Amino acid sequence: MLKTAGNAPMTIRRNVLQGEFEVSRDPDVVLTTVLGSCIACCLHDPVARIGGMNHFLLASPPSSRSGLGDDARRYGLYAMELLVNEMIKLGAVRATMRAHLYGGANMHSGMRAIGTENTRFAEEFLRADGIELVRSDTGGVRARRLDLQPATGRVRCRSVQGDVPQAPVARVPVTTGDVELF
Amino acid sequence: MTKAILTVDDSPSLRMVLREALTGAGHKVVEAEDGLAALEWLETHQPKLVITDITMPRLDGLALIERLRSREAMRDLPILVLTTESAPASKARARAAGATGWIAKPFDPEKLNSAIRRVIH
Repeated sequence: MLKTAGNAPMTIRRNVLQGEFEVSRDPDVVLTTVLGSCIACCLHDPVARIGGMNHFLLASPPSSRSGLGDDARRYGLYAMELLVNEMIKLGAVRATMRAHLYGGANMHSGMRAIGTENTRFAEEFLRADGIELVRSDTGGVRARRLDLQPATGRVRCRSVQGDVPQAPVARVPVTTGDVELF
Repeated sequence: MTKAILTVDDSPSLRMVLREALTGAGHKVVEAEDGLAALEWLETHQPKLVITDITMPRLDGLALIERLRSREAMRDLPILVLTTESAPASKARARAAGATGWIAKPFDPEKLNSAIRRVIH
C-alpha cells in the first residue's frame, strides 16, 4: 500500500473514462469520472466490500427517433455485464449488490434526450437483473463530477458548471460478435 | 418434435436479447440461469445446441462444458461459449473443456445465427 510520509494511507485515484470500468476492494482506491450525457453505474456489495463503476454512452443513429436501437442496447448490456462479472470474479454476489446511477444529463436543448434514454436503459437493466437501485442522480442539464470509494460504496456527486472537460474516450471495440469455431 | 437451443446466462437482460435473436431466426429457446440449472434440465432433455456464458454463480460455463462432455450422450452436442471474456487463456480453457466455438459479446445476431447454422447438422 502507498503511504504518505506520516504513514497515513495515500488515496489512489483512478479515472474511469467513457467505455471503461473499474472494480476494486482496496479501501485506499477512489474511482472518479466526469459525466455529461453519459451514465455511470456504481455497484457495491456491502457484504463482500467490493465496488465498481462503469461509464458509458449509448448512441443510436441520428435517424432513429424512437430511442435506443438494438445495437445500442447490446453495447449497454455489454458495459453492464463487464462491470457485474468483474464484481463477481472478485467475490461479490449479484443478490447483495446495490446500485447507484449518475449522469444522463440532456446538455443540449433541441437535440434528442440521449441522457434520458441512457438513464432509462440502465434502470431497465437493473430492474430486470434484480439489482436494487438505491440512489439515482440523473437528468437535468448540468454535468456531474463523481467519486466512488468502492470498498465502502461511499459516493460524492457534484454538479459541474459549464461544459464537460473533453477527456480521452476509451472506445468500445468496433468489431462485435467475433466467432471462432474450434 | 423440434429440439430447443439451451441458453445459459445469469443475466436475465442478456437472456432476453439472446432469446429475441434466436426466436427471430426460428429457433425454440429454453433458458437456464447458471450451470447447475442447465445440468438439471439436461438430465431429462436433449437440446440441439447449448449457448453458455462463462462467469456465473454456482457453476460457471467452463465447468458446465466439462461436466457435459463427461456424459456419453452429450459428447457430440454443439456448445458455443458467448462471453465478455477476451483473455486468450480463457479461450484456450474453453477449447480444452470441449467447447465447439467461441463468440465474443456484444454479439451480432447475424454472426451468431450464422455460427449456429454451421455447428448444427
